[in-house]
Amino acid sequence: MVPEGDLSRPFPIRTRGAVLLALLGAGVWAFLHLDMSFGQLVPNEGGLDIAKKFFGRAFSPAFASEASSVPPGTPPLLILSLQALKTTVIYAAAAMSLSLLLGLVLGFFASTAWWTGDPVGGRTWFARTIAPAVYGATRLLTGFMRSIHEVLWALLLLAAFGITPLAAVIAIAIPYGGTLAKIFSEMIDEADRRPADALRAAGASGVQIYFFGLVPRALPDMLAYAFYRFECALRSSAVLGFFGFATVGREVEQSFNSNNYGEVWTHLYVLMAVIILFDAWSGQLRKRFVA
Amino acid sequence: MSVAANHTEARIAELKRSRPRSRFLRFSLGCFVALLVASWFVGDFAWRDAFSARRAENLDRFLGDMRPWPLREATPDGMVVKPWDWAVVADWTEERLEEGVSGLDTEGGTEAAIGTLAISVLAIVLAALGSLVFCWFAARNVATPQPFAPSAAPPGPLARWSWRVVVAGTRLVLIVLRALPEYIIAYLLMSMLGSPAWPAVLALAIHNTGILGRLNAETVENVERKPLVALRALGAGRAKIAVIGIWPAIMPRFLLYFFYRWETCVREATVLGILHLASLGWLIDEARSSGPKYDEMVFYILLGSLLVIGGDLVSAVARRLVRRAS
Repeated sequence: MVPEGDLSRPFPIRTRGAVLLALLGAGVWAFLHLDMSFGQLVPNEGGLDIAKKFFGRAFSPAFASEASSVPPGTPPLLILSLQALKTTVIYAAAAMSLSLLLGLVLGFFASTAWWTGDPVGGRTWFARTIAPAVYGATRLLTGFMRSIHEVLWALLLLAAFGITPLAAVIAIAIPYGGTLAKIFSEMIDEADRRPADALRAAGASGVQIYFFGLVPRALPDMLAYAFYRFECALRSSAVLGFFGFATVGREVEQSFNSNNYGEVWTHLYVLMAVIILFDAWSGQLRKRFVA
Repeated sequence: MSVAANHTEARIAELKRSRPRSRFLRFSLGCFVALLVASWFVGDFAWRDAFSARRAENLDRFLGDMRPWPLREATPDGMVVKPWDWAVVADWTEERLEEGVSGLDTEGGTEAAIGTLAISVLAIVLAALGSLVFCWFAARNVATPQPFAPSAAPPGPLARWSWRVVVAGTRLVLIVLRALPEYIIAYLLMSMLGSPAWPAVLALAIHNTGILGRLNAETVENVERKPLVALRALGAGRAKIAVIGIWPAIMPRFLLYFFYRWETCVREATVLGILHLASLGWLIDEARSSGPKYDEMVFYILLGSLLVIGGDLVSAVARRLVRRAS
């Protein structure tokens, strides 16, 4: 989902086969290392039974609760499903707004555009010492934020604070903030430099060039990417339901555990509908605005 | 005001009028911002509870528990901290890497890390193969009645529409494959497949087939048309054009996307172990649910973080090599 520059020339023929063989070889190594066999793909009797019952309901999702006894006061299944969806979307949106803030701020420091500045004149003392240090430290920080999965951040925050909605939001916001910072900084660094050069010629400072020359150019890219990340955040938020938060994952787990497979499909379809909507939306944005 | 200044202002106004504007972009941005802001008002985040004294106590206890257990002692008066001793920490680290979670029969950290890596590698190779099956049928320039025909009689409506159905159907399959998160797919497969590795591998492979299939289809659609038209004029059919004309041209980007998605596979694979599949997540969850041993849980999370950073570096180097070679 990241622009990767011009790659119009074909891959050199001689190395092509070697690269592909190496990748396939890596796959074979992994297969052997994991002691896997294709025989394991055939489920045992119990598994086969579950598979039949589960996939048998794929086209007949439940519209009412399938539990044998429903505690009084429980909302109808569809309401329950939509409530979980609402929570999923809210957590994802709140997390996204935090990670956008993190991404924009850290993305500034993680880009080279604001301090490598003038290619003709020499660099100032600031651009030779402090700026690269800040840049390097930011890159390390965002790398660390990204390297821990949002579910693991959630486990850490749950252990530290106990269960609270904010834990889910922050757990998603930390790695996503790191990712957005990285991608935003790359998009800005790779944006068309001509407006920036014009501003520099007019006497603008590095920071001014950054905000008025480079950011506007990269903005459509950044928005399309943020949309795509929001779609990812919806998935992450849904998964956090498996860890006690009130999102779609919790409904999926509960229904699956009580063998109410029709309900599982209902929850899955509700989640998929929203994700596909944002997938298509971000696809349109990309198609129209990202070269 | 002088004439020159007037002229400048007129020119600026003209430039401003002619700047690129898009209703769709503005509409999307507006909706997005509104949704993000609304979430804070609609959602109930229990602010008062989140900053209560109970939470602070909990945090305090957690920070104490993060210290490796040989460096602290539980006494009736509470936790007593022993001085930091690198030799003890080194022993403790070695034990975690070789024996796993203390007091439990798990695999060691090193083994689990390699298992995590293997899951991610196998998953991305399967996903790449899967995407190479789908991408041709989702690319509008290939999946069409007369691909790259220089000049041909327009195809009949039946041929046109059946190819359109193929494209739309393939895209729908890809979008469904990538819609569900890996964790949920793995969770559903887990009870059906007894083995510990397949559910994780398949879950990652299914999700990434959907993503790589879409990305590769886009690459195929953007391949320069002229050489392919020439191939067609020489008599090459659809399959031949794909193999000798398109595949070499898309390979650099195919590899870039391959490594880009592999990075995320490593990250995901660390987590899938929580479902008791053969990865680091298993140790993380065992440490969390026995005790809880937060010192060991944090250790394995950091081990996973190292693995992911290593994967990112390998991927960055590989992508640079690909870019240089092409």
